[in-house]
Amino acid sequence: MKNIRGIFITLVVVYVVTAILNDKFLGGYNQSKQLERTGLYGILSLGVAFVIITRGIDLSIGSVVCLVGCGVPWLVVRHGWSPASAVSLGLLVGFLIGLFHGLLITKLKLQPFVVTLCGLLIYRGATRGLTDDQSQGFGSGFKEFREWGTGEIELVGKFSLPYPFLILVVLSIAAWIFLRKTIWGRYLFALGNNEEAARLSGINTDRMIILSYVICSMLAALGGMLFILNGNTAQPSAYGNFFELYAIAAAVLGGCSLRGGEGTILGVLIGTAVMQVLKNMINLVTWLETHMEFLIVGLVLLAAVVMDEIVKRRAAKKRLT
Amino acid sequence: MKIRFGALLLGLGICLSGCGDKEEDGKKSYALVTTGAVGFWEICKKGGEDAGAELGVQVETLMPDGSTEQRKALEDLISKGVDGISVAAIDPENQADIFGEVADNTLLITMDTDAPKSKRQVYIGMDNYNAGWMCGELVKEALPEGGEVILFIGRLEQENAKRRRQGVIDCWRERKKDSSRYDLPGEVVKGEKYTVLATRTDEINMAKAKENVEDELTKNPDVDAMVGLFAYNPPIILDVLRERGDLGKVKIIGFDEDEETLQGIVDGQIAGTVVQDPYAYGNQSIKVLHALATGDDSVIPENKLFDIPARMIRKDNVEAFWKDLNEKLGK
Repeated sequence: MKNIRGIFITLVVVYVVTAILNDKFLGGYNQSKQLERTGLYGILSLGVAFVIITRGIDLSIGSVVCLVGCGVPWLVVRHGWSPASAVSLGLLVGFLIGLFHGLLITKLKLQPFVVTLCGLLIYRGATRGLTDDQSQGFGSGFKEFREWGTGEIELVGKFSLPYPFLILVVLSIAAWIFLRKTIWGRYLFALGNNEEAARLSGINTDRMIILSYVICSMLAALGGMLFILNGNTAQPSAYGNFFELYAIAAAVLGGCSLRGGEGTILGVLIGTAVMQVLKNMINLVTWLETHMEFLIVGLVLLAAVVMDEIVKRRAAKKRLT
Repeated sequence: MKIRFGALLLGLGICLSGCGDKEEDGKKSYALVTTGAVGFWEICKKGGEDAGAELGVQVETLMPDGSTEQRKALEDLISKGVDGISVAAIDPENQADIFGEVADNTLLITMDTDAPKSKRQVYIGMDNYNAGWMCGELVKEALPEGGEVILFIGRLEQENAKRRRQGVIDCWRERKKDSSRYDLPGEVVKGEKYTVLATRTDEINMAKAKENVEDELTKNPDVDAMVGLFAYNPPIILDVLRERGDLGKVKIIGFDEDEETLQGIVDGQIAGTVVQDPYAYGNQSIKVLHALATGDDSVIPENKLFDIPARMIRKDNVEAFWKDLNEKLGK
């Protein structure tokens, strides 16, 4: 819990401030949209958290979102594939990309930063070539298929639980069980803390690292599909730009250390929510000009990290005295 | 710690409640939603704000980057409960559902790029295909004997950009007007007199736009003309040619009314440009929305199109046009 106190306080502060600044913020429709966005972006953050725990990084997430997000409607609409086969291929592509990254990083000992940076370029370039730089989407058809991204369970008023959020909840529970209740989860944390020691104690570290990249890329592929099912329009040159940075920021804010070996699922979810609510705040509050978005997001995130560090140091001091 | 945190929140609350978003009683509020944050949209914003001041209504302009962000901006405006939205579509075919959601909750009109299949009440803008065609005419005037041309543009996935480019090409190839045609950007398009060597996109990244021009000049030093189809492209072409000392060797034809472009026409370095009227897009959007919101449907023409035609600007009319633009912008 200690790791996520800072980000949790930040979320509360952003919520209270926005609610004061605009009374529509707490409305059912708007709150459902916050859940939906947290669901979509959270799936990416969840994936990168696995990689960060092993002390790695994945910069290719946005491009995988682009490749699969543009690829699925391209296959379904332009080439008449069935949604089920396009989704299967999408996930397979995610799996292969993760495997490819993992093998290069463990067997060839390449640095994750470089491998996934090349991935960032390759998958976006491939998408643009494949689609001839044309916008992709499902038009007005495939309503049932799109339900996965747009559907919701209506509760009271205009408040509802969007499917992407429910999918995130299910994935989070699975991830939590994996990380906290299985031996493989312990392996991941152990090798993140000290890879050499973990290997010497008999853990097949290569296999665990490859697994973390596979999970990350498959979740990015799944996220990409949900994004396009939700938004219905993707421009290959820009789709998913910066998504890896949003995902990494959310994971780190949520308590994942870039030095490896640390991280909680709940923290990642809260970190994702903070990013989305902040952006919502900037749109809702008229006197906050939208071109100041990066400035405001950057400052709040920095404040959260600083606060977190101060709280941690105080706690450490107390323990010593 | 806990008490201090509570006090902090309370203090913050008191501070902020003073500067909250008070809807000035009964004042209608409208929003303009653009496709990005570039100079072109700043002019549109000014037009909207002037209309807002004239009518005594609130006007805000959101400039989201790309279709994912545009969707969010529209959702957030629905949350906020504005009385009407004028949006420039990015991908009309696929944005039907979000536009439908807007139309179900508030008044929706489109500007700059239409979404004819959506439930929008009216479209305010010009036809990009025809405007591209005009740009093609300017190239013909600059190169009456024909020649090799390279096109520079921000993105091709955007409907308006696609149609604009196709208009230019079809004009040169003297085809029958058909805005649904699409020549692939990767191929050399060979007409009788004019050849399009390449269409280069820069994803609205200025550094990339400059590199595109430089690299094309390296590759095709004998190119006859360069056409910049997004507002910032012509000044960048001008700049690169000036740097290389190649001004005059390569003809430049522009689009939109960037100050550098207009200055280039005054100085005789740019042959001409095709201008839209973003000020009118913003201004008319707010006026039409306000009329609709107050129950006056008579503003909508039968064909649901509010045509604000493009114009060709050459050396002979550039100064008059510029003066008028500056007056509108209050410069």
